Amino acid sequence: MNDKNIMESHMGTTAIKISARDVQVYYGDNYAIKDVSIDIEDKTVTAFIGPSGCGKSTFLRCLNRMNDTIDICKVTGSIRIDDEDIYDRRVDPVQLRAKVGMVFQKPNPFPKSIYDNVAYGPRIHGLAQNKADLDDIVESALRRGAIWNEVKDRLQSPGTGLSGGQQQRLCIARAVATEPEVLLMDEPCSALDPIATAQVEELIDELRQSFSVVIVTHSMQQAARVSQKTAFFHLGNMVEYGETGQIFTTPQDPRTESYITGRIG
Amino acid sequence: MTDAIQKLEKKKSLLQLDARTRTRNAAETRFKAYGIIAIAFGLLMLAILVFNIVTRGAGAYQQTFIALEVELLAGKLDKKGNRNLDDIKKVSTFGYTPLLSNALEAKVAELGIETDLKAKKMVGILSKSAAAKVRDYVLNNPNKIGETVGFEFLASSRVDGYLKGRVSRDSIGNDKNISPAQLDLVDALKAEDSLAKHFNMSFITGSDASDARPEAAGMGTSMIGSFFMMLVVLVLALPIGVAASIYLEEFAPKNWITDIIEVNISNLAAVPSIVFGILGLAVFINYMHLPNSAPLVGGLVLTLMTLPTIIISTRASLKAVPPSIRDAALGVGASKMQSVFHHVLPLAAPGILTGTIIGLAQALGETAPLLLIGMVGFIASNPPDSIATGLLSPNSAMPAQIYEWAKRADPAFYERAWGGIIILLVFLVTMNTIAVILRRRFERRW
Repeated sequence: MNDKNIMESHMGTTAIKISARDVQVYYGDNYAIKDVSIDIEDKTVTAFIGPSGCGKSTFLRCLNRMNDTIDICKVTGSIRIDDEDIYDRRVDPVQLRAKVGMVFQKPNPFPKSIYDNVAYGPRIHGLAQNKADLDDIVESALRRGAIWNEVKDRLQSPGTGLSGGQQQRLCIARAVATEPEVLLMDEPCSALDPIATAQVEELIDELRQSFSVVIVTHSMQQAARVSQKTAFFHLGNMVEYGETGQIFTTPQDPRTESYITGRIG
Repeated sequence: MTDAIQKLEKKKSLLQLDARTRTRNAAETRFKAYGIIAIAFGLLMLAILVFNIVTRGAGAYQQTFIALEVELLAGKLDKKGNRNLDDIKKVSTFGYTPLLSNALEAKVAELGIETDLKAKKMVGILSKSAAAKVRDYVLNNPNKIGETVGFEFLASSRVDGYLKGRVSRDSIGNDKNISPAQLDLVDALKAEDSLAKHFNMSFITGSDASDARPEAAGMGTSMIGSFFMMLVVLVLALPIGVAASIYLEEFAPKNWITDIIEVNISNLAAVPSIVFGILGLAVFINYMHLPNSAPLVGGLVLTLMTLPTIIISTRASLKAVPPSIRDAALGVGASKMQSVFHHVLPLAAPGILTGTIIGLAQALGETAPLLLIGMVGFIASNPPDSIATGLLSPNSAMPAQIYEWAKRADPAFYERAWGGIIILLVFLVTMNTIAVILRRRFERRW
């Protein structure tokens, strides 16, 4: 981590990357997200915490319009990335998702080779001019995914043959290979053991240098370890949002306090 | 203190079964026994079926042949003597019969067999196809006229039946096609090894034959008919079915219209096949004026019948692909179509292929709709010379051919019906085996 980055985040001069205003999400009759407004900073890890079913994953999936794949889901309000409304009619979700990468709860590598897993995104977006280019992109993505050393000798073996932790880092590598600006992570460590979790957390901290990372987690310790900013969701409302240290030490809202002390959840 | 002792006495030993456990175990044992009985019953029925088919059908693959040296008399076949093919063609099969009777008479004399039969009657033990066989040979080799050529002729179906035990001297009382004297001749020829049963390839490759000569009938042409129908079904049903399923499963909005379509597809799968047959008759033949009895029409009708099967199995295999794969593709910025064609479809392919093969196997064995579009009946056409004639010229299909034989009076045809069923079953078992192998080979890889 370079000093400039630390300086920036401490001095609060980082730019706003994502700005959401009055976001409402309905799943059919179910009112899932109520009036959420939040500013997510660039080159920062922002954690969404909250009990199950509080809407944190739903809100995360609004940020790259993955909710579009669910027919009954309706989103209102505005979400702007780099001051462009991503729900504008002119925005193609496919282009948006190239800019806003996503890592899912369960490691979900394609049943293809490790190389093809990472190369798929760059291929469909035409990021590589030739095979050598693609090789470079794959290598750098796997390095950024902190998995290069483990797989460099078996790039052609299937991605599904890796261990859970390796698969998840492969998925992270796959997500960063398309050069996104924002990386969304939906409980990326919930299917992993503590050692793999530690590796992924370390990785998240490194990724912060290049991306704005938004992570949904059930583990408050994890939020405290990896994030600079934390948002607490409860029953579809965003209750509190602030510096991670402040949320965990001096929460303003009684609900936040109850949750982090284990009284609700 | 006493309480504690009583409690101790009440405690049950693990080494003894209590009444409840005993009843439960008994119920389980009974249930297993029912299952075994059901499976054993099924296997027994299967064994009976296979045994019946094989014992009754095997006869069709063995046919009685008589070897004869036929002198191709120039005086009879080419009276002008100029070997002009057009002139030779003028001699019909009737003109060849004397050659056969001469040959048979010579053979009988050579072997020293005594018989009261006139040469004309002797020929009755040969198949009516024998003369045609010589004629075909002469037309192909006109230069052989005047020479003596060895042939192997089919014996008539009565003679064949006599050797197979289907026909006996008692059973031919009023039969004009065979007499006891002819059977004596057959016995004598058999004793001299001039007449023998062996494998009959023409049953597999040949075409249907008229009522008078069941011994010459074969499955070949109807197999070609079935092949062209399956070609039509595969070319139409697979792409249409897969495209429809992909659209319904991956792209279509979930609303009442798609619900109705879904319900109707399931209903279509249960519609009796004869309904598709009458639909084909009304639409393809009466309205669109496609030719009667053509494999193209049969294929179209069977396509309609197979589509629901393919759609249902394709949708099931698309559904079986975990949503996480779709998410993963969308997550790296693939479009919906890319996620389907790059990731979902390849994973669903083995299931789709399995469903398609099973659908094809169903269509291959389907008879009822073919009855209505005229693909049943006496169709003894020659093998088609191009794909277009194969699709458009009248033909039969394997199950229709079997039905056609089974309803004819002569028991010799009945035997061929069973023989045809063996061929049909070999095809079906092969197709289903391929389906099973595909499923095994490409089992879920996630």
